[in-house]
Amino acid sequence: MSEQLVQERHWSAHKERGSFILMWLTALSVRMFGRRLLAPVLYLIVLYFFASARSARRNIRQYQIYLAQWSGNASLRPTLKSVFGQFIAFADNLLDRLDVWRGRLRFEQVQLIDPSGVRSRLLRSQHGGRGEMLVVTHLGNPDVCRAMAELSEQVPLNVLVHNHHVAQFNRLLGEAGDRSMRLIQVSELDTAMMMDLSQRLERGEWLAIAGDRVPLNDGRRVVVDFLGHAAPFPQGPWLMAGLLRCPVNLLCCLKVDGRYRIYLDAFLDNAQWQRGQRDEAIRGWVQRYADHLAGQCMIAPQQWFNFYAYWQPPERPTHKEAADAN
Amino acid sequence: MNALQQDIAQLIIDTLNLEDVTVDDIPPDLPLFGEGLGLDSVDALELALALQKHYDIRIASDSKDARQHFTTVATLAAFVQAQKDACAS
Repeated sequence: MSEQLVQERHWSAHKERGSFILMWLTALSVRMFGRRLLAPVLYLIVLYFFASARSARRNIRQYQIYLAQWSGNASLRPTLKSVFGQFIAFADNLLDRLDVWRGRLRFEQVQLIDPSGVRSRLLRSQHGGRGEMLVVTHLGNPDVCRAMAELSEQVPLNVLVHNHHVAQFNRLLGEAGDRSMRLIQVSELDTAMMMDLSQRLERGEWLAIAGDRVPLNDGRRVVVDFLGHAAPFPQGPWLMAGLLRCPVNLLCCLKVDGRYRIYLDAFLDNAQWQRGQRDEAIRGWVQRYADHLAGQCMIAPQQWFNFYAYWQPPERPTHKEAADAN
Repeated sequence: MNALQQDIAQLIIDTLNLEDVTVDDIPPDLPLFGEGLGLDSVDALELALALQKHYDIRIASDSKDARQHFTTVATLAAFVQAQKDACAS
């Protein structure tokens, strides 16, 4: 029973803790330490996390099993070493994030893979073009938006988050001298927020939002196949794109052979649905997004940093069904 | 149906791509949500954005009042008129 509760604890509970550690470390490291001094501390924290968080271990194991089955690549099957490796990859990722936030990871160090020319459209937004949306993922390093801000030069990038620490993050950004990136907290789609976002797009600003995490109090989710099993994804980013009638691009940043690669892919030319077919349209987009994400998992199998139970638990009755049965 | 009500009914049709629906199919007192025209909350959001742009007015988000304004074309028209008057004065 308590096992289930642990499993059901929502990612935002984990994230909250992670954010605090990250912010605290960032603030501390900026003032005192370098990466070299912080690394051992962080490895210890992650080691403790690995040893103590049984559910996180099991969830990573599940991810590795699904990835191995889905790809038909038996070498991806989980071992103690490979599961531990994914935790270590997370520690490395946190250290890299510190570098990103401190402006140490320069754009020149990042390899850009942009087959459809998303960046040129981004730069065009400086000269009167309308903004677009970027859907980002928690595979690899999502904080690379910070490097994206540099990539976009003068084009303002608004990162939409469900986090309550927006004010603090914005202050950190301000202290770091970053004016082109801004975090906006979206808890609900409402008219004022949508109008604000719509005006930002008209001004040529871009919006970035995560497409792979379902917010806590948002029933708008859609279940699609991801790595061969049903997983819930948020509808929010796609509803937003449809309401704003803007193009959608995918952004993902993976570390390959010790070097970061930013993958930019055009995804939807114009998010629009036919009357009465909204849900089907969104389901189609999300399935395509999940397939794309699965492909990227294969590029960097160890950089999946969703430590909570990502997939729907198989055959467990919902609360309603359980109540009905009683 | 007055001119503003007709205008709004047409805006609803255009914004939401209501095929096979004409202005005459949306009488001023037809409920827009549920039983009537059958719109939902995302439609309402889309409609609110269109109204704000079209009439250059502001719609406060998700207050109870806002919901009441969206009951029928007649209530919407009254709301838009009030907003326009407020902006003009």
